[in-house]
Amino acid sequence: MVLPLLLLVVALCAALAGWAVWFVVRDRAVILNQLWGGAVIEALLLVQAVVAAVAGARGEGEGDPLLFWGYLATTLVILPVAAAWAFAERTRWSSVVLAVACLTVAFLEWRMWQIWTGA
Amino acid sequence: MEQHSGRTGRGLGRVLVTVYGILAFAATGRSTFVLVTKFSEAPVAYSLSTLAALVYILATVALALGGRGSWRAVAWAAVSVEAVGVVTVGTLSLLDPAAFGESTVWSRYGQGYGFVPLVLPFVGLWWLWRTRPRSADAFPDAKEAV
Repeated sequence: MVLPLLLLVVALCAALAGWAVWFVVRDRAVILNQLWGGAVIEALLLVQAVVAAVAGARGEGEGDPLLFWGYLATTLVILPVAAAWAFAERTRWSSVVLAVACLTVAFLEWRMWQIWTGA
Repeated sequence: MEQHSGRTGRGLGRVLVTVYGILAFAATGRSTFVLVTKFSEAPVAYSLSTLAALVYILATVALALGGRGSWRAVAWAAVSVEAVGVVTVGTLSLLDPAAFGESTVWSRYGQGYGFVPLVLPFVGLWWLWRTRPRSADAFPDAKEAV
């Protein structure tokens, strides 16, 4: 785990969630550009997985690997599934779904950092 | 107001299914982890975690499939079990902290999950009631409630 990468992911999640909340207020459904934003976050999550795998193989990381990789696998699944689920709904509720997904990923990132550092 | 009659996976229901799905993931992950690592320490608590996980998965799928036909009955059952489960286990875990420990999603009314496990089943029950299929002939009074 690399802290700057993690912070970047969390910041982007917060930004995309903010964008989605703005759309909820404006009574708008999720648009394709927001899904591209989600794809950028997903790509960074994949980079993070590779970085964590390399660091883990070198014996870094404090917490239980099973727990850590369970969280990491969950973060990888959430955005694609939520994006597809949100995009099929053409009302403001799709924007709520996207916001919930982004905030969940941000929360899981924080938990992963806790596990990784043994906090 | 959008037409929700008979459909549980649209509108607000889409958000509900999302939160259910996330909780299903969290509960499944948690129960798998404790089953693998410490089942022998507290088999009752960990079996309960697995039951909770299955209930969340069932509720997610049943609500997502739109509450049509028998899936609506499955959704009612799963969400009801969940409501009873979180209140019962939550209360027992407060009366006797040693009974379950912090090891289930429902301990202390789901405090470890921001009390989402406590709120969710009641929103779910309300939503199932709100989207119940109605026929104007069978329920003439229902029109006023829309």
